[in-house]
Amino acid sequence: MAAIEIDGLTKRFGEVVAVDGLDLTVEDGEIFGFLGPNGAGKSTTIDILLDFIRPTEGSVTVLGHDAQSEGEAVRRRTGVLPDAYHVYDRLTGRQHVEFAIEMKDVAEDPMALLDRVGIADSAHRKAGGYSKGMRQRLVLAMALVGDPDLLVLDEPSTGLDPNGAREMRDIIRQENDRGTTVFFSSHVMEQVEAVCDRVAIIDRGQLVAVDTIDGLRDATETGEILYVYVTDLDDGTVDSVSRLDGVGSASVHDGRLRVSVDGVSKFAVLHAIDESVVPVQDFSVVESSLEDLFVRYTAEEREGTA
Amino acid sequence: MTWLIVAKKDFRDAVQSRALWALVVGFVLLSLLSTYAYVEVPEMFGEPGGATFTGLLFFTVGLTGLFVPLAAIVVCYKSLAGERELGSIKLLLSLPTNRGSVFAGKVAGRAAVLAFGLGVGIAVGLLVGTVLLGEVDAVGALVFLLVTLVFGAVYATIVVGLSATTGSTSRATTLALGFFVVFELFWDTIPMGFLYVAEGFSMPSTFPDWFYFLTQLSPSSAYLSTVVALVPELGDAAVGDASGAGAGVEVSQTGVDPFYLSPEMGIVVLAAWFVVPFVVGYYRFDAADL
Repeated sequence: MAAIEIDGLTKRFGEVVAVDGLDLTVEDGEIFGFLGPNGAGKSTTIDILLDFIRPTEGSVTVLGHDAQSEGEAVRRRTGVLPDAYHVYDRLTGRQHVEFAIEMKDVAEDPMALLDRVGIADSAHRKAGGYSKGMRQRLVLAMALVGDPDLLVLDEPSTGLDPNGAREMRDIIRQENDRGTTVFFSSHVMEQVEAVCDRVAIIDRGQLVAVDTIDGLRDATETGEILYVYVTDLDDGTVDSVSRLDGVGSASVHDGRLRVSVDGVSKFAVLHAIDESVVPVQDFSVVESSLEDLFVRYTAEEREGTA
Repeated sequence: MTWLIVAKKDFRDAVQSRALWALVVGFVLLSLLSTYAYVEVPEMFGEPGGATFTGLLFFTVGLTGLFVPLAAIVVCYKSLAGERELGSIKLLLSLPTNRGSVFAGKVAGRAAVLAFGLGVGIAVGLLVGTVLLGEVDAVGALVFLLVTLVFGAVYATIVVGLSATTGSTSRATTLALGFFVVFELFWDTIPMGFLYVAEGFSMPSTFPDWFYFLTQLSPSSAYLSTVVALVPELGDAAVGDASGAGAGVEVSQTGVDPFYLSPEMGIVVLAAWFVVPFVVGYYRFDAADL
């Protein structure tokens, strides 16, 4: 059974189309990354999953229940870390978790949960005084109450330092090992790359790609990226380089020449640049990262329609 | 039963707010001051025959009729609009509950907050009044207290209902204050306007019955009528008190008035002020994109 089934989902806010005919299936037991630039429609989609907002068209089924008509049944088995939430300033961290325990009608130890997310020390302080990272941990603890079958996490690493982001990933993996399906959104590829089984990329409300991390890599740039430091870098240089044999594309990136190499050896390309365009000072090689991929998917489409 | 958990949390949250405690202290002081003033100089409040406990109740009804709406606005205007504006509503609705329970829980929680403040204030005021006067009408006082708590709950429903229709606290403030201005401050003149239009843009020399019915449709008039209906001694006080603080309450002893002008009608109107805002608020909240 699919954990999440999104079918022809469209959401319009007046003239603005936030989600545009989205189809997506998240299988039971996988860690699924939902990726896109800010404003791509990720949060809108998640808000519809949780029935915070109502779709204009299409349907969403979560854990076999219709998200709109059976939202309570959905949320009974789902742990949520929403986007743009606010904690209750006057209640302590412990009171927040106790509230979630009461609402889910389960018997759990709030302190054990707070300990798991690393804020047990602050359990008795009012949540209004928490840092953004601590609030994120607190709401994660609330999401974990009742051992949910599905975790929906909207930008979970927001406000976390690198250590906190790593701990977040560890918890995601632990939960997944216990059979929980995890659906999380991010605009940072790195977060997704480290932990996801499959990834969907959306841009301006539409699905651009959905595949495994390796599948995405294979489907796009097979070659490598060369970063080349040259003495003289201008549009003419880029133009000349992009016309060289075996060069997929060329652009300027942080004052360096970014060259993707297709089909020929890197050395041949470097040599050609040095010989016929501009002297090479230094260079580095990067295996094409998903970050590149992500930028290409979302940026190229933009150029295509511009 | 998640509405009860929501109500409990809401109450717990609210009792830690300084605004609430300022309200309680304010109401206790007001209650003490007005009780003392009434007992010391009853002549000023239309009691030439001297202070009585029933007179004190009647005087206090006029006071609570004004204080409860204002207190309800302060306590409730942000209840749902504020949570939507901040985003804490997402935390709440991420849990296994539904919007109906959240709405009902908010109404119950805020009504409890109001009941707490009003209960303390009225109890203190009436206790001091009892001591100063040396007499008490325990049944009348209890009925008055209970009706006032119900009135507080009705007003909590009205203001939470208004708050449920918007995601902006400034709009919620406007709605709540607008309601107060129209239905409490100027309600006496609005039926006058209806009458003026109905009579072909002129003022008649005698007012028709429906005019008096309209004037009793405001929540606080319905509250006054309800108190009069349930504490008969107060009705007598109201009749004997031509210049009374409870203006707008028409109590007939001749028996020729239509049924809709009887004080019992106040109970029906008060019930309507609970049901209509509850239903409207719930439907608007349930349909909203948060």
